[in-house]
Amino acid sequence: MSDDYLWDGSGEPDPEIERLEKLLARFRSSRPAPELPAGFSGAQTISLWMSWKSLAAAAALALLCIGAWYFLRGERPAWEVVNLEGAPRVGSTAIVEKGRIMVGQWLETDGSSRARISIGTIGEVQIDPNTRLRLIEARATDHKLKLVRGKIHAAIWAPPRLFKVETPSAVAVDLGCIYTLEVDETGGSLLHVIFGWVAFETDGHESFVPAGALCERRPGTGTGTPYREGASLAFRAALTKLHFEARSVEERAEALGIVLAEAQKADAFTLWHLLSRLDPRERSRVFDRLRELVPPPAGVTREGILRQDRQMLDRWWDELGLEDTTWWRLWKGPPPAAK
Amino acid sequence: MDPIARTAQDRAVTLTSAVESPNDALLANAARDGDRPAFGVLYDRFGRMVHGILLARVPRSEVDDLAQDVFLQALRRVHTLRDPAAFGPWLAMIARNRATDYHRRARETSELSEEMGVQDPQQAEALAVLCAIKTLPEAYRETLMLRLVEGMTGPEIADRTGLTPASVRVNLHRGMKLLRERLEGGKAHE
Repeated sequence: MSDDYLWDGSGEPDPEIERLEKLLARFRSSRPAPELPAGFSGAQTISLWMSWKSLAAAAALALLCIGAWYFLRGERPAWEVVNLEGAPRVGSTAIVEKGRIMVGQWLETDGSSRARISIGTIGEVQIDPNTRLRLIEARATDHKLKLVRGKIHAAIWAPPRLFKVETPSAVAVDLGCIYTLEVDETGGSLLHVIFGWVAFETDGHESFVPAGALCERRPGTGTGTPYREGASLAFRAALTKLHFEARSVEERAEALGIVLAEAQKADAFTLWHLLSRLDPRERSRVFDRLRELVPPPAGVTREGILRQDRQMLDRWWDELGLEDTTWWRLWKGPPPAAK
Repeated sequence: MDPIARTAQDRAVTLTSAVESPNDALLANAARDGDRPAFGVLYDRFGRMVHGILLARVPRSEVDDLAQDVFLQALRRVHTLRDPAAFGPWLAMIARNRATDYHRRARETSELSEEMGVQDPQQAEALAVLCAIKTLPEAYRETLMLRLVEGMTGPEIADRTGLTPASVRVNLHRGMKLLRERLEGGKAHE
């Protein structure tokens, strides 16, 4: 299809572009021309020059004072907090309408409170009831929260890896851009990605969780594996048992058997993650099932996969129909397609 | 004729000409002198461009207020514009600088505030697409905002911003390709 429709709306309409146009039209500029301020005039600008000069001097002095005040006070970076409901608190201070949270401070909501934090200029986090979190970093290159209990909804519109949330069992690294993260009383965490990607990292393991998928972590009991929302209940239950509940070799083998039997092609990314989580014998079973669902590309061998050859694992991932591994694993700038 | 009446008549002629003429600097000068119709024409002509440029760079909730700032700032400084034909690119530059200034001051943001809890799937999808565009490289982000959100055509974008048509076309093509990849990746498991 040519680019004519994208260029000037002529030619055969591109259905995807038409759909996006309709979808995004709601964000279009709709405000009428603003009123010109009373007395707005270039001539007045000149005639009021002396007044402006005085005002500018006063403003400069005020800015100097404010700057000195901030400097002497050693102000730490802070983000805006908005009360959405009830009585959220930052430290011992109740947030009535708006307030601020500084690096090192805790924000807490009770059973009937909700709040919203502006993450600098890169996004927002909505905090549900019964949540406790701390602002760890608020630098331009590193935005980090620590979530110890409760649930947050994050929407981030920044390049990947600028925003992170630590939990007792893992670190969620934003790869853009909408997800929820929940921490229960035991410190276990559940990540649910609505749009984009999130990396869930712990103990040297990294899970890449795509939109429509979840990933669970429990402290001290190993690493969970991401799975899609639509996976069968049997698949999800067996996966939970495999990672967190099975005590014996037999129980693990049984759980893995159910996971492999229930797996569909759309679950291939779960099996791919399992290849680097399980012992060699279990890995071999996963290899056989994943090969049935998504044949490995030429040059990717059983022997290579079983010995965890990173290049072969990446090449197989690229066959899954998700983003290229280089995009999310090695992100240091624009994705390859932009170069 | 009474000199005051003549001045008024001359001014009326000038303003009428400005509104009917495509000369943007003339319109801006008239608007600076307080002429509301001239300002309206300018706003109609460049409002979408300014809105799109800001939307590509700052939280959505801030865009309308910043757009008004951009226009008023431009009117105050229009006498410094030497080439009247360069009004569009000059205004675009003011909008980009205003966005940079916004971030430099690290003001609080409130994007997606109400919408985050909204269950309307279309609104959620629209926000997700907006998010995806905002993560694209700057040149693609701005051009796609103008095309997909503001509804401007490629030739209009080139005309208003002063970019060459070839640059706009390339930005649209590459930006759209990246956006499709990003959206397909994002929806892979929905």
